[in-house]
Amino acid sequence: MLRIENLHVEVGGKLLLREVNLEVGEGEVHVLFGPNGSGKSSLAMAVIGHPSYKLVEGRIFFKGVDITEKPVHERVKLGIGVVFQNPPRIYGVKLKDLLNKLAGERELGDGVLKLIDSLNISEDLLSRSVNVGFSGGEVKRCEIAQALATNPDFLILDEPDSGVDLENLELIGRELSRALRGKSALVITHHGHILRYLKPSRAHVMIRGTIICSGEPDRIFERIVSDGYRWCEKCSLMRRG
Amino acid sequence: MQLDEERLREVLRKPAPLGLDIDLQEFKQAPEQRVEYYEDLAQASLEVGVDLDKRSKLTTFLQVDHEAIYKAVQKQFEKDIELMTLEEALEKYEWLREYVWRLRSPYEDKYSAFNALHGKGGYFLRIREGRRIHLPIQTCFLTYSPEIVQNVHNVIMVEPDAEAYIITGCTAHKKAPKGLHIGVTEIYVKRSAKLNYTMIHKWGPSFHVRPRTGILLEDGAELVYNYITLGSVASFQSQPSARLAGEGATLSMNNVVYLERSSDMDLWGEAFIEGSGGRVELITNAVVADRAKLTNRGRIVCDADNGKGHISCRGLMLSDEAEVSAIPCLVSRRMDSELTHEAAIGRISEEQLFYLMARGISREEAESLIVRGFLDTSPMKLPEHLEKGVRRIIDLAVKGF
Repeated sequence: MLRIENLHVEVGGKLLLREVNLEVGEGEVHVLFGPNGSGKSSLAMAVIGHPSYKLVEGRIFFKGVDITEKPVHERVKLGIGVVFQNPPRIYGVKLKDLLNKLAGERELGDGVLKLIDSLNISEDLLSRSVNVGFSGGEVKRCEIAQALATNPDFLILDEPDSGVDLENLELIGRELSRALRGKSALVITHHGHILRYLKPSRAHVMIRGTIICSGEPDRIFERIVSDGYRWCEKCSLMRRG
Repeated sequence: MQLDEERLREVLRKPAPLGLDIDLQEFKQAPEQRVEYYEDLAQASLEVGVDLDKRSKLTTFLQVDHEAIYKAVQKQFEKDIELMTLEEALEKYEWLREYVWRLRSPYEDKYSAFNALHGKGGYFLRIREGRRIHLPIQTCFLTYSPEIVQNVHNVIMVEPDAEAYIITGCTAHKKAPKGLHIGVTEIYVKRSAKLNYTMIHKWGPSFHVRPRTGILLEDGAELVYNYITLGSVASFQSQPSARLAGEGATLSMNNVVYLERSSDMDLWGEAFIEGSGGRVELITNAVVADRAKLTNRGRIVCDADNGKGHISCRGLMLSDEAEVSAIPCLVSRRMDSELTHEAAIGRISEEQLFYLMARGISREEAESLIVRGFLDTSPMKLPEHLEKGVRRIIDLAVKGF
C-alpha cells in the first residue's frame, strides 16, 4: 500500500529525516514510536506532501504509484487520509459544511450523520468554525471525522491520543478500531495510549530522523514503557557505532 | 430641531474632514424624470437582499432616486408597524421633529449640511410598543438616474419591548454608474426593545457613499447592527455612532467587507457606554483585493460602571497593491470597565490551505472556502432564511473565489 524508499527530507535547509525505509502492506496497521522531535510528524508531513518538507532523496510509492512529485490533494484523492496533531483554525468555515463537502454531500447525508453520531460530535460543534475554540478532545474527534469522511484506504494518524482525556481516548480508540477494519494505517504515537484499542501488526521506532528498529509491537512497546526511549537511543548508537 | 440655514451653508463651503473631499457641484440635485417600478429594479434589489417580488407579503419600502415608489405594511402587522416617508411622518406627528437631527448633527460636515438643506426621501419606521415582528421588514434605496445625489433621511423607532428585523439594501443600478448617496439614519431602540438591522450595500466603481448613522439605546435595549458591503465603490466614508444611554444596553456592530478594484473605504464604528453594564462589540472582517484601500477605525468610550467593550478587525489581503489599516481606540473612565481590542491583517495562510488540500480539496477551492469563510455572517444573528439569502449574495459577489 505505502512504500517509502531511502527518504531524506529537509525543512529550511535542515535535514529532519534520513534513510527512512518503510513498507505498510494492504490491510496492515503499523505503529511508529519515537521521542518528541525525533521526526515522526515530519514523516507524516512528507508522505502527505507538505510543500515545506523538501525531499532531497528517495521515493514514496502509494498503491504502486510514485507520488513523490504529486501535490497534496492528488495524494489524498488516491486514498490517503490524515489526522493532524496540531491542525490550524479556519475561521468562518463551518465544520458541518466542510464535512459535507468532503463526503460529497449537499446537506448532512447518511455518511456524515453516522460519523458525527459515532464520534459524539454535537450540533453546536458542527455549526462552529473548524478548530476555533475546540478542546483537545474535540479537535481529535473532528480530525478523525474529516479524515474518515473521504473514505480513505490508508490513514496516517499523527498522535491521535495526545492531549485527550480518558473518556475521549476511549471514544476515539473505539471508533478508530472500527474504522480501520480492512484499511491500512500508520499510527504515530509518543506514549502509546491508543494501543489499548488498536492492534498493529508491526512497530517501528524513530530516533533522530531515522527508523532504528522494527518488530513486534507488544515487545517494543513493553521495552519503551520499562526503559524509555533512552534504551532505543543507546541501541541506535550501538547499531550505528 | 430648528435648522440654522446660514450655518449650514457655511459648513457646506468647508472641505470634508474625513475621506475624499467630493465636489458636490459635480452631481445633479434632481433626476430628470421619475422612475416607475419595473423588472430590472427587482433584480438590482435582489442583489442587495431585498425581494420585491415578496412586496405584497413583507413590509417593504422602495425608493428610487428621490421618490418612494413603493411602501406597504404587511397586512397582519398593520396595527404594529408604521411606515411612511419622513416628510409624511413629520406632517402627521409634530413630536417627531424632536427626533430628527438629534443623533447626528447637521453641522458635522458638508454632506450632513447638504442633506439638511436639500435632502429628499427616506422613511419613518415605527415598531409599536411590545410588538414582535419576526418577519423581515425590507427597505431599499436604489439610484437609477445618472450623476445624481441620492440624499435621504430615515428615522427608525423601536418602541419599548418591541422586536424587529430590518434588512435594507442600497445599490446603484448598472445604468447609473456615477453618483453620490448620502444617507442619514437615526435609530432609536427604546427600553428593552430589540432590533436586528442589516444593511447590504453594492455600489459601483464611480459611486461615492456617505452614510451618517446615529443610534440611541435605552435601558436593556439590544441592537445588532450589521453592515455588508460587496464589490467596489469610488469612495466611502462613514462613522456610525451609538450611545448606550440606558443601563444594560447591548450593541453588536458587525461589518463584513469585500472590497475590490480601486475602492477607497473609511469605515468607522463608535460607541459611547453611558449606562452601567453596557456591552459593545465592534467586529470587522474584511477581504481586500486589487488596489482597494480600507481604513477601519473603531472607538469605544466607557463612562459607566461594569461597561464591557471589544473591537476586532481581521483583514485578509488578496493583493500587494491593496491596503488595510486597523485603528482601534479605547477610552475608559471607569476602573471596573473592561475594554479590549484585537487586529490581524495578512494573506491567506499557507497552513490553512495545506490543511484543506490535505482533505483532497484543490488549491483554488481551498482559497475560495477560506475567503468565503472569512466573510463570516454568524455573529450577525440573522434568522435562518435571511442568513441563507445573505450567504447567497456574498457567494455571488465573490464568485471569482
